[in-house]
Amino acid sequence: MQDQPKPQAPPQDGGRGGRGTLPPANPAQILGGGRRGGVQGPGILFDSDMGHIDAALALAMLHSLGPKGQLIAVSVSNSNLEAAAFCDAVARVYQGPSPGGFGRTALPVGLAANGPKSGAVPMLSAPLAMKKPDGSMMFPQGVKDVRDTADPRVLYHNALLTQKDGAGIAILAGPATDLAGMLTLKSHREVVAAKVGLLVAAVGAYPSGASDPRVTADIQAARRLFAEWPSPIVAVGAEIGAAFPYAGSRIEADFSWAATHPVVEAFRALQPQILEAKGQAMAAVLYAANQKEGYFKLSERGTIEVLNDGRTRFTPSATGKHRYLIADAGEKDRVIQAYTEMASTKPTPPAGRGFRPQ
Amino acid sequence: MITRKALPRRSFLRGMGVSIGLPFLDAMVPALSWAAKKPPVRLVFMYLPNGIDMPNWTPDYEGPLTTLPRILKPLEPFRDDILMLGNLTHNYGRGLLDGAGDHGRCCASYLTGAHVKKSATELHVDAPMSMDQLIAGKLGNQTPLPSLEIGMEDPRQTGSCDSGYSCGYTNNLSWKSETQPMPPILNPRMLFERLFGANADLTPAERQRQTRIRGSILDFVRESTRQLEGDLGPTDRRKLDEYLTDIRSIEQHLERASKDETPIRPDVPKPAGAPADFAEHYKLLTDMLTIALKADLTRVCTFMVTREGTSRSYREIGISDGHHPLTHHGGKLDQLAKVTQINEYHAKSFAGWVSRIAKVPEGDGRLLDNMMIVYGASLNDGNRHVHSDLPTLLVGRGGGTLKPGRRIVYRQETPFCNLHLSLMDRMGVDVESFGDSSDRLTGLENA
Repeated sequence: MQDQPKPQAPPQDGGRGGRGTLPPANPAQILGGGRRGGVQGPGILFDSDMGHIDAALALAMLHSLGPKGQLIAVSVSNSNLEAAAFCDAVARVYQGPSPGGFGRTALPVGLAANGPKSGAVPMLSAPLAMKKPDGSMMFPQGVKDVRDTADPRVLYHNALLTQKDGAGIAILAGPATDLAGMLTLKSHREVVAAKVGLLVAAVGAYPSGASDPRVTADIQAARRLFAEWPSPIVAVGAEIGAAFPYAGSRIEADFSWAATHPVVEAFRALQPQILEAKGQAMAAVLYAANQKEGYFKLSERGTIEVLNDGRTRFTPSATGKHRYLIADAGEKDRVIQAYTEMASTKPTPPAGRGFRPQ
Repeated sequence: MITRKALPRRSFLRGMGVSIGLPFLDAMVPALSWAAKKPPVRLVFMYLPNGIDMPNWTPDYEGPLTTLPRILKPLEPFRDDILMLGNLTHNYGRGLLDGAGDHGRCCASYLTGAHVKKSATELHVDAPMSMDQLIAGKLGNQTPLPSLEIGMEDPRQTGSCDSGYSCGYTNNLSWKSETQPMPPILNPRMLFERLFGANADLTPAERQRQTRIRGSILDFVRESTRQLEGDLGPTDRRKLDEYLTDIRSIEQHLERASKDETPIRPDVPKPAGAPADFAEHYKLLTDMLTIALKADLTRVCTFMVTREGTSRSYREIGISDGHHPLTHHGGKLDQLAKVTQINEYHAKSFAGWVSRIAKVPEGDGRLLDNMMIVYGASLNDGNRHVHSDLPTLLVGRGGGTLKPGRRIVYRQETPFCNLHLSLMDRMGVDVESFGDSSDRLTGLENA
C-alpha cells in the first residue's frame, strides 16, 4: 500500500457537527506533510494577548513570511475568546476557508482558558461583527466556544514536533502564561529544550524601564519564563516599539490588495484615538525572521530578571543566555519599510488547492 | 452466623490438561458481603481500521445522547451505556518529520502514545510498552491471562505495509516493549485453546488421548463439573449450565468454521478455522471474548476489527472493493457511500456483541456495568488521514466510575493519551503521565 495524494473531499465539519462553526483553522499551521515547499527558515510560534494593534500587525507579518519561515502555531495568552476568534479569522484571510488536505492537518488557535482576563477589546469585536450585504460574516470564524481552541501547551508541543531540533522560534507578545506553562510538564519541557532555538520576547523595557502590563498580568509566569526557559532569549523592549512605530495613516494603502481585511478593520476601530502602532511585536517578528539583516543591534549577554512591580532588569553576564535589541536610529526607515512589506504582502495561493485570497 | 466457605473467585473446572475458568457465581461471595466484593473492571479496545465517515458518525448535538447518526444507529438501544468523546487527538500519528505512512503510525501509536520509527525492517516505538500491557503488568497476576490480543486477519509481521512502515506496525495494537509487539490471535481455534488451556500442559499420553477423543472439552471436565454442581445452589447451577452451554456452542461453531474453505481475500491467507463471513467470524471471536470476561480470565483485551490499512472487501454486504482504496474516495459519492456501509456494518456487529454482554448478569448488575470498551479508530477521515477528533466511543459503566449516555466534546487537540490516563485510573493503575498526555479527561463521571 503506497498512499498518494488524492483530491480533497468536500469540506467537512471536522466532527464537531451542529455547533455552527467552521473547521478548526489556523491554516498556516500545517502538520503532517512536512515543511511547505521552499520554506528555508524557522518554524515560528506566536504567543500574544492580541489586545494591541501591534500584535495584529505582527500576526499579519507572520502569515506572509514566505521562504523566511513558517508560522506553525498561534496562541492567545489571556482568557479572551474574541482574541482567539480574531486570530482564526486572520488565518482564513491568508490560507482560505478549508485548510488541510491529504497528509495535512490544520491546527486550531490556542487559548489560555484560565489565563489573565481582559475586558472588551474594540479592535477585535468590530471586525468580528462585520457582515456582508447578504448577512454572512465578513470574516469567517471558526472559534465560537473555548472547545474550538486548544490548550496552548498541547498546541505548542504538537507544532514543535514538526520541527528539526533547534529549528523553532517562539515569539512572545503578551503575558508569559502559555510559554511558562510549557515548562510545567516534563514531556513538554523536553520538547521545548530540543526544538526551540530562540525565544524572542516582546515584553519589558531594557536595560530597565517602566513596568509592563503584559508582565504584571502574570508576573509569576514571566519570572519563570526568564528564569527557566531553556533556549537563548532576545528581548524586545517598549523602547524599540516607540522607536519604530507603524503609521496608521498608511494602513489602507498598504493593504489595498484586500477589499476588506480584519487587521485594517481592527485599526479603524481604534481610530481616531490611536494613530500609530508602537512596533514592539512587529520588531520581534522582523528580528525573528531576519536575524542576519542587521535591522537592530544586539546587547551583550546577560540575565533578565522580573521585579516585583513588573519591571524588567537586565544584568550583564558573560554566561547569561539573554540579550535585548537596541534601536539603531539610522535603520528606522528600513525597519518601517520591512514592517510594511511583511505585514501587507498579498498572500500567494497554495498550489493546487483552488484558494483565492479575499 | 455465616459458616459456608465461599468458592474462590479464581476457580476452575479441570481435567486432562483442560482448565475452564468459572464465571462470577453467588457461591464466590459470602452472604452479606456483595457490596464489599465488587466485580473487577475490564477494559477492551475494539479497534477500527481506515478511519470513519465522520459526518455519519458525529451527532449534531452535545450532552445526553438521543438519536444517533446513521453509522451508530445500531447502537441506539445502548445509548445509555455510551460516552461519545469528541476532539481527542493522536499527534504521533501525524507525519511530523516522517512524511507518508499514516496507517502504520496511527495504529502503532494508538495504545503506545509514542512516536514510531519509520522502518520496514525494524520495529521500534518510543515507549516502554503500550497502555494495555502496562495494565497487564500491574493486574495480570490476578487473572490466568494477563491480557488478550485478538484480530481478524493478516498474520504478517514483517515487510512494508504502508509507505515504508513495517506490517508489524499496522497489524499490532499491543506492545510488550519498545521492540516487541503482541501479535493478535487470528485463529479462532487457537483462541479457544488459549482461553481454556487445552494442550498447554498435557503429558504426551494425555495429548494422544485428547486427540483420539476429539470431543468437547466439557467431556474432559465432566467429573470436576459434577463435583462442583453438588456444592452450588439452584441459581449458580443454572448460571454454570448456561456458561458451559455457551462454551459448547462455540465449539460447535468452531467445528463448522473449520470446514469453511471460502477465502476472505484471494491474496491473503484466511486464518485457519475462521469463518469467511465477517459477521459470523466477529461473533465467534466476541463470544469467546465474552466467556473470557465472564470468567475473569483476563481484564484487558485488544481486538483489531481487521488490521489498519486493510483492503478487505465486504462481499457479505455487496462490496467487492477493498476498504482502504474506498476510503480514498476523493469526494466520489458512490465510494463514500460504500465506506459508510462498511462503518455501519462494523457498528452493527459491535452492537450485536454489546447486546449479548448487556444480558450477562454479574453481581447485582450486568457484565457491561463493569466494562469499559473503547470502540473507535486511530484516524478520523481516512480520505485525508486526519489524526484529530478521533472517532471514540466509551461503552460500559466502568464499575460505576462512568456516567454514560452523553456526548462530551473536549478542546481541540486534546491528547488521546489523556483518555488512557483516565482509563488506567479506573483499572486501578496509577501513573502520573502516559505518552503525550497533558492531563486526565474531565467529565467522564459527571452527568
